Amino acid sequence: MALGGTIRGKKTMLRLPTEGDLDAYNRWMADTRVRRAHNIWHEPAMPATWKERFKEVAKEKQAVLWSIEADGKLIGLAFGYMWGLWSGFDLSQLVIDPDRWRKGYGFDVALALHRYLFDYLDLRRSDLELHADNAAALRIADRLGYVEYARGHEVAYRDGAYVDQVRLLMEKETWQERWLGEREYAPLGPGATR
Amino acid sequence: MFGPTLAGRNGVSLIPPTLEHYKLRTSWVVAPEVGRFWGPRFGELTEERQEKRFKDTAESNTEIEWSIAYEGEPVGYTGIFGIDWVRRDGESGIIIGRHDLYGRGIASEAVRLRTDFAWKELRLHRVHNWIAHANRGSRRANEKSGYKQMGLQPRTFFRSGEWYDEWLGEAFPHTFPEKA
Repeated sequence: MALGGTIRGKKTMLRLPTEGDLDAYNRWMADTRVRRAHNIWHEPAMPATWKERFKEVAKEKQAVLWSIEADGKLIGLAFGYMWGLWSGFDLSQLVIDPDRWRKGYGFDVALALHRYLFDYLDLRRSDLELHADNAAALRIADRLGYVEYARGHEVAYRDGAYVDQVRLLMEKETWQERWLGEREYAPLGPGATR
Repeated sequence: MFGPTLAGRNGVSLIPPTLEHYKLRTSWVVAPEVGRFWGPRFGELTEERQEKRFKDTAESNTEIEWSIAYEGEPVGYTGIFGIDWVRRDGESGIIIGRHDLYGRGIASEAVRLRTDFAWKELRLHRVHNWIAHANRGSRRANEKSGYKQMGLQPRTFFRSGEWYDEWLGEAFPHTFPEKA
């Protein structure tokens, strides 16, 4: 598992990450706009350290990493954990290059990823954790169908102050009600199983 | 890292784990009584794996762990894991492996010692945890040391024909009871 394969959105595509993507990962993790908005995946580090991290994540049994592209260019990364017994997914990171924010990439890639989770992997639910003041991410989560179930107080620390963290859950039933037309594959012809 | 010895009340203490304590865990976590609210009851439960866990935990800078001793015998384990030293936050957990000793207040005393240490020695700002909502004993043990509910994750555990929610708790130095 560990390194994720191709998932196509309308504007974006999740694809197999490569070592060549690591410079951009490092740049994003060092960007204060990203650090303010998100829990970061790793601290900025030397290229050799990133290569070690990449090797480690490739070996992980429960974690999956993707790079995100738009118009043939690397624009972000997604990372999460499969729950034990494959019942759900923790979406831990969905980072878009801050120079490309407000172009609709975040929602587009989130929709494609959730289509894969529910329509392909047949998971029961997806879980995520967001800073309570990350309005853009909360809007995307709400549009997808996430519902808040817990609020941790004074969890993340930045800019000299704590911020609360919201935990949200999306159920397979919600996906099916809200995104019925979203399918990973077009239906097969009537003779496909003959 | 392993935590130091913390002497508690009613025969309970937290002590640094040994490799022998780690090997005991294998038999604890596969017992149906212990797994009612936790774990799948299978896993890489070999002695080699326990030796690796023992070494990894000892070397870790982001977790602190103790064995729980009752009247001098190891009966479970507890700790704070995934400590973020910038946020000063970590996730706590506890297992009483000797289910024949349930109901004696061992978990309550172990959580009190652990939580007190988190505030007074580690200078943490927050500790949080996940407990099966129906595991009233564990939940009460944590609540007595100042943990408060921050939410419920619905339908997380399926056991014997019923779904159970997961209780999410958090504690701060100011929620720790003065007379604990």
